[in-house]
Amino acid sequence: MRSSILRRMLALGAVTTAVTATAGLATAMPAHAATSKVSVVHGIPATPVDVYVNGKVTVKDFKPGDVAGPLDLAEGSYDIDLTKPGEPVDKAILSVDGANVPGGANISIVAHLDEAGQPKITPFVNDVSKVGAGKARLIVRHTAAAPAVDVRAGGTPVFKNLTNPGEAKADLAAGTVNADVVLAGTTTVAIPATDVNLREGTATIVYATGSAEGKTLGVVAQVISGLHSAPHGVPSGDGGLADESSLSAWWLAAGVAVLLLLTAGGVRLATRRASR
Amino acid sequence: MRSNAEGAPRHRGARLPSVSRRSLITGSLGAAALLAAGCAGPGTDEPSAEVQALASPSPTPAPLASQVPVQPGALPQASQATAPVRLRIPAMRLDAGVQPVGIDPRTGDFAVPPSVDNVGWYRFGPGLEAAGGSIVIAGHVDSSSQGKGAFFGLRDLDEGDRVEVQDSARRVVRFQVIAVEQFRKTKIPLERYFARDGALRLSLITCGGPFDEATRHYRDNIVVTAAVA
Repeated sequence: MRSSILRRMLALGAVTTAVTATAGLATAMPAHAATSKVSVVHGIPATPVDVYVNGKVTVKDFKPGDVAGPLDLAEGSYDIDLTKPGEPVDKAILSVDGANVPGGANISIVAHLDEAGQPKITPFVNDVSKVGAGKARLIVRHTAAAPAVDVRAGGTPVFKNLTNPGEAKADLAAGTVNADVVLAGTTTVAIPATDVNLREGTATIVYATGSAEGKTLGVVAQVISGLHSAPHGVPSGDGGLADESSLSAWWLAAGVAVLLLLTAGGVRLATRRASR
Repeated sequence: MRSNAEGAPRHRGARLPSVSRRSLITGSLGAAALLAAGCAGPGTDEPSAEVQALASPSPTPAPLASQVPVQPGALPQASQATAPVRLRIPAMRLDAGVQPVGIDPRTGDFAVPPSVDNVGWYRFGPGLEAAGGSIVIAGHVDSSSQGKGAFFGLRDLDEGDRVEVQDSARRVVRFQVIAVEQFRKTKIPLERYFARDGALRLSLITCGGPFDEATRHYRDNIVVTAAVA
């Protein structure tokens, strides 16, 4: 399974590389939908926080490595503040004012370190379009205090030169892929190999988090389900033994024969009656 | 089409049979056309209301704003669906092995097991552990090399017929047929049968309808939907 996924990734070049920079919140969304699904991801090591949305505490004692949500948020502008647990909002350690949440989107708001190791908040728009039957979407996001990296599957780079805060994604055959992260262009392992189970019909978002210098590099995962599609078709017979048209053709032939007999009889009857 | 009653008497004799012949022939052709239309089978492409009702997801209550779910961002585990291993349908005298199958990567189609004696469970959808959604089992109606398949008699099932599905721990889940539907492959609402929400149900799928000798394909799919008994 693993090697076949890898082969397909390589052979078909089915790899979308490094969608650059921050995915802005304001991408095109369907006009009719008014609320968005918003998740919050904690990728700052050793710093539990309370999460405030528009001045109201929304997640208490949010632990590093945890994922909160999804929340249904109406489209609009939001202030997001992180405080040490129990502290009031005016003592926030990290704030984003006026974050724009469009309607009908699926968004992850990620608290993480930038490349230099400073805490920041980055919103990502999640690709929740349907995946083909039998497929799963893998999205990798660089949200760690680390230089550019390559993501390898089975030892071969598949997402190259990913930088903080960028993402790369691909739709793959569902199954297990053994992945690791190396410094870009090298074989120096930054995050050791681990099995990532890509469940069919889901998007698995893997965040590289922590700090290379602080030796706290790791991953946080978020899974979005319900993206499955039906197979194209269910071909389940090529023998013709259950053919209904031949059966019907016999009935059709019999029916026509009977009707022709009736017609002939009727004509004879009518002719006889008329000539009387 | 009625003959003209005011026509000259000497013509009547000639005219009556000619008109009658025409109307009789027209009538027989009309009847033949009706028979031909009947080839599509009764109810082809007509969805069953019962199946649609089962497939409608029940609205999930919106979570309270104060209860934001928080989960550890651990890497996902493999799916723990309970695979069916045997399918029994007494009305068809069927007792068939069930194999877990997925998608044919070349075509994107459901990968029905090559042996026509076995049927395939869609391993990406719900299994026997599920509380909702459609458990899909598809099988061959026949094959050019192997003859009649496990689902040869599927289209003849009736509402109320019993269907039993067994897992590897010999636990049996019992279903009862609620609908037998027939759709052209170009019209079948497959997303309804491969849905992972709505009431728990079993969808049995095979081929049917007219067979095209040139392409070696059946035109239609037969879908039997069974609800938990």
